[in-house]
Order: sequence, then structure tokens, then C-alpha cells
Amino acid sequence: MAPRLRSCAMHARSIGLRVLLTGLCVPLVGMPAPASMARAGTPDSEALRGEALFTGKADLIGRIYTHRVDLPPAVVRCGNCHAADDGPPVPRSLAPRLNQDLLIRMQPRRGGPASAYDGQKFCTLLRRGLDPAFVLISVEMPRYTIEDADCQALWRYLNESPGTK
Amino acid sequence: MIEESPPNRLRRRVCLSAAAWAAVMGAAPRPRAHAAVTAADHGRVDPPLPVPDVPVRCADGATQGLAALLRGRATALHLMFTGCSTVCPIQGVIFQRVQELIPDQRERGIQLLSVSIDPFGDTPAALAAWLQRFDAHAGWTAVAPKPSYLDRLLELFGQGRQAVENHATQVSIVNRRGELVFKTQQLPAADSIAELLRKV
Repeated sequence: MAPRLRSCAMHARSIGLRVLLTGLCVPLVGMPAPASMARAGTPDSEALRGEALFTGKADLIGRIYTHRVDLPPAVVRCGNCHAADDGPPVPRSLAPRLNQDLLIRMQPRRGGPASAYDGQKFCTLLRRGLDPAFVLISVEMPRYTIEDADCQALWRYLNESPGTK
Repeated sequence: MIEESPPNRLRRRVCLSAAAWAAVMGAAPRPRAHAAVTAADHGRVDPPLPVPDVPVRCADGATQGLAALLRGRATALHLMFTGCSTVCPIQGVIFQRVQELIPDQRERGIQLLSVSIDPFGDTPAALAAWLQRFDAHAGWTAVAPKPSYLDRLLELFGQGRQAVENHATQVSIVNRRGELVFKTQQLPAADSIAELLRKV
């Protein structure tokens, strides 16, 4: 019996320790990872989702805005035209490389006044083709039917987690 | 986020293109040549412009004149190159959908024509792979002009865009006499191309 009692006592102590550790960890779960962590190259699930959407590992739904039907996901991937941050270039493409400098820095775009993207403006561009200065982008870039979470994931991939690429 | 050409630059290119076309045709610009400016943008081409009879190499390796390929059929023509990952796959899907919309295209004397703007890179094998990629049926042909003739085609179909990386994505409609009669907007919908082809 003695060994059994000892075992139970050890088990109880172990559970207590786990509860204590869990109690310490739980408050951290809902907190965003510090930017320094992301920048240090720790992939987070949101950035990974953004990368998957960008490269085509996850499907995007898009169409040319003058069309009545969507195009196959394979032909509306962001990565078909755009390079991301310091990733490899897209051969024979004039589409701009998407990185923090292009997106967030105030600068004139398409002949409009100086403007910069934020997450919401980025989503507006993807969905409606309007850039931050409300200039319509080329008809050749698809417009996307994209949920807020996926839009945010793409934004995070392109802006906030360069170390994950 | 593909950048659009500033309108003024486009107009200048269009004018140059029209002038170059007039020079190619060996004719001084006539008053109606102004219509070519419209043609270089989009819409009806009036008067119709003859497509230059340049030698082209087909996906089966045969070489023939473009005029012979066009004569007697209503043709939807786009510019593309097989090494293009950007807009060309979308162009391919659009033609694929046109074929689905006109299942009796051969009986109607309708054809689709993919014209490569990369005559060095697009071998007959590459052109055949392009057609296969989009499940092209009979009546969809892919060709590449001989390199020295590429500019003549770009003058007519290129919308002033000379760079391979920024080529025109319009569809040109050519009538049964081999004349350009209509230019669509960029990346037109398949149903609008099908409708135009049925009317030619």
C-alpha cells in the first residue's frame, strides 16, 4: 500500500504543478506575440496562413471584375505576379514586389496623391480594386472574395513577419 | 497591383503605333486612319484593318502564312507567351471557356488563335503544351511568328505595349477576310468573346 500511497501523492503533486503552470500560461494565450518574436523568424499561424494564400497552397477566390464567374484558384494566386518581401522574383513580371516599404510608406501611387496601406485599405484593394488614394487599379488584377481573417493573414505575412518567409 | 500606363503615355503610344502601322502598309496616313487610334484602344475597328501576312510556326511544327490561317474563319486572337505566369494563364482560361460556350465552333467556322510574342522561347512543343494545359479542342491553334515579323503584329494587336512582360491582354476579332474588326477591353469575359464571334 505504501508504494501506492506514495505514487498517489506524487501524482497529486504532479497535477498541482500542471495546474499551476497552466494557470500561468493561460493569460499569455490570447496575447499577440511581441513583434520582436515575429521578426525573429518565429512563424505564427496567421502568417503561415497568409503565406499559404499568397503562394497558392491555400485557395483564393477571385475573378476579373468584368466577368460573371470566378477564375480557377491556380490563376489568381498573388504569387503568380508578385514577389513577396525578399523572396524570389517572379520571372517576366512587372507587378511590384510586395513588402513593408511598398505598402506602408507614404508615396504617390498610380498618379494619385501620396498614400499608404493599412490592413483595412489592403482588404479594400483586394476586394474592390481601390487603392488607398481611391484610384482604381488595373482591370488585369483579380478582385477577391476574401474573409477578414484571410485578408489579415495576407497582410501579416507581407508586413509583420518577414522572418517567416 | 499591376500599374496602369498613364493615359497620356498610352495615347502617345497609340498615335505612334497608328503611324507605324500606316508606314508598314506603305500608305500615307489618310483621314480615316484616325480610326486606327480607336482600334488601338478598344471597340469596333472602322475601317477594318488587314492583318499582315507574316509567316508563323504552328504547334505542330508547320510554318504557314498568317493570312491563310485566318481566311474563311471568324477568329478570336490573343497575344501570350508560354513562360508567362501572370496574365497568360487567365487568358488561357478565358479561351477555354469560349470553347465551352461554342461547342459547335468548327461548324460555325470559328477559331481561337493564341499568338506568341516570345518567338525564341515558344517552340512548337511549348505551344502544344500550352494548348494541352487548357484542354484545347480542335479549332484553337497556337502559333509563334518568325522573330523578325513580331513587331508587325505588335503594331496591330499590341495596344502600344511593346514589352513582353506588359503585353496587351485584349482579344482581337478578325473577320473571315482576315481583317481586324474589333478589339475588346483587357481580359474580356468569355461570353462577350463568344457573342462577338457569333456576329462576325
